[in-house]
Amino acid sequence: MAVDWELTAFLILAVLEIGGSIMVVVSRKLVHAVFWLAMTLVTIGGVYLLLRAEFVFLIQILVYAGAVPVLFLFGIMLTRRKIMEEVTPGEVAREVAPEEPKEGNP
Amino acid sequence: MTDYLVAPNLFVLCEDLVGWILKVLSDGILGIAPVGSPVEPLRGLGYALVADSVVTFLAWVVAVLVMFVWAALINLLTMMWVERKFYSRMQDRYGIMISIWSLPVWPFTWWTKRRGKPTHRGLGYLQNLVDGVKLIQKENITPALADSAMFHTAPVLVVSSTVVIFAAMPFSDGFVVANMPLSLLFILAAFSLAPLGVLIAGWSANNKYTLIGGMRAAAMMMAYEIPLLLAVVAVLIYSGTLNVIDIVNAQAGPLATFGPISIPKWNVLSIPQFVGFVVFTVAMIAELERIPFDIPEAEAELVEGWLTEYTGMRYGIIYGFKWLRALAGSALIVVLYLGGWLGPVWTLNVSIGGNALGIPILPQEVWFLLKIYIVFVVLVWVSWSVPRFRIDQVLNVGWKRLIPLSLLAILVAALFAAFGPMLGGIR
Repeated sequence: MAVDWELTAFLILAVLEIGGSIMVVVSRKLVHAVFWLAMTLVTIGGVYLLLRAEFVFLIQILVYAGAVPVLFLFGIMLTRRKIMEEVTPGEVAREVAPEEPKEGNP
Repeated sequence: MTDYLVAPNLFVLCEDLVGWILKVLSDGILGIAPVGSPVEPLRGLGYALVADSVVTFLAWVVAVLVMFVWAALINLLTMMWVERKFYSRMQDRYGIMISIWSLPVWPFTWWTKRRGKPTHRGLGYLQNLVDGVKLIQKENITPALADSAMFHTAPVLVVSSTVVIFAAMPFSDGFVVANMPLSLLFILAAFSLAPLGVLIAGWSANNKYTLIGGMRAAAMMMAYEIPLLLAVVAVLIYSGTLNVIDIVNAQAGPLATFGPISIPKWNVLSIPQFVGFVVFTVAMIAELERIPFDIPEAEAELVEGWLTEYTGMRYGIIYGFKWLRALAGSALIVVLYLGGWLGPVWTLNVSIGGNALGIPILPQEVWFLLKIYIVFVVLVWVSWSVPRFRIDQVLNVGWKRLIPLSLLAILVAALFAAFGPMLGGIR
């Protein structure tokens, strides 16, 4: 019945960290990759916390949570990927079918 | 027992309360389930309730709840009310006036009719509650082409990183949930998590206004986080610790005494820290996105910027939590530079354990709130008196003025800390 809570916490953090780092590489959208990167870095901070290094944990969050938005900015500005879903007239027509024009006064 | 009365420790109080309630419950269960009765297995529950781990866990839960209700419900509403009332008065109008006398139910209607009062003639404290009820009733709309998961994650990031600040933010020596050795760093780290949420909110709504707002927020918060942290470094040179309570206690004691009046040794009254104070306050106004620096959500050109596409209570939460961040920011200014909860102390001639017993004239929490609200009112005053900067002016001020000034503050503070005693105790 004795549960090793530190081991449990480490396992959860490790799964999140590995999953996050895989998602950084795999995800198609740049901004999603940056979000997963932030999660990976914060969970690494959690591992530092388990190693009793609170200072490194807080510096990790302070530095990387600050640095990730910058990466985000540069990623959006300096790559040629489309950053917004453009609404073309065709797409709108598919979502909301326009009414047929009626002849004469209704 | 004496220091218990002067500065009640939140966790000890909660532990006593929870322990007492659980003891009563446990005694009741043991009373209705004596040995040999058919419900005897209940005795196990009775013994489990008074176990140390259960009491400690529930005491933590209660302490966190008390702090959350105190900070997020009472002070958040009060700060919104103070701001709305104050800027209305600055614009020569009454402002919000819905109070409990506006309720359309019996005792209130009777009272107002009897006094011949119009319905909306109160102080207006209930207006923010009314707005909240209205926002809860509204529909939550997710834009058709928005990135739904990210769109819903962003408010959670902003709000939770703000709430987490109050796990470490003390309101007095004892009124604190967790007194960690690195609590100042914890607060600053939690503060710096929000720009990520803002940027995600701006990008995910798939709207040009929100995208521009999110970009501006990221550029601005990055530019102003650096002088904020550098100004804190100058304070750390003087106090030598990262614990908020120790930083405040390092400011205790008189700087100079003129007859009965003694000037306190607050950080703002020393030369390098005054520069740091100015830098920190300006950077904090930018971090809170208040008006001279509210270019990310400029309502005239960006229609609330990164908040544009949020509706209903989701909008209400991230809009209202700006005031919780304002509470945390004002509290940080007060803690670092204005002496925290230290106020005039009435010293008795009785000595207890070798120390003279000092009784604060007002409770520490009252002093702290008084200072927080004064700082907040000054911020509001600035906000509603000046026009908004352009984004390039904002970044110029941040990178070209505040960072050199904060570096200068660090340099002078280090020099004074090293050579101050030789120069006649100059601070």
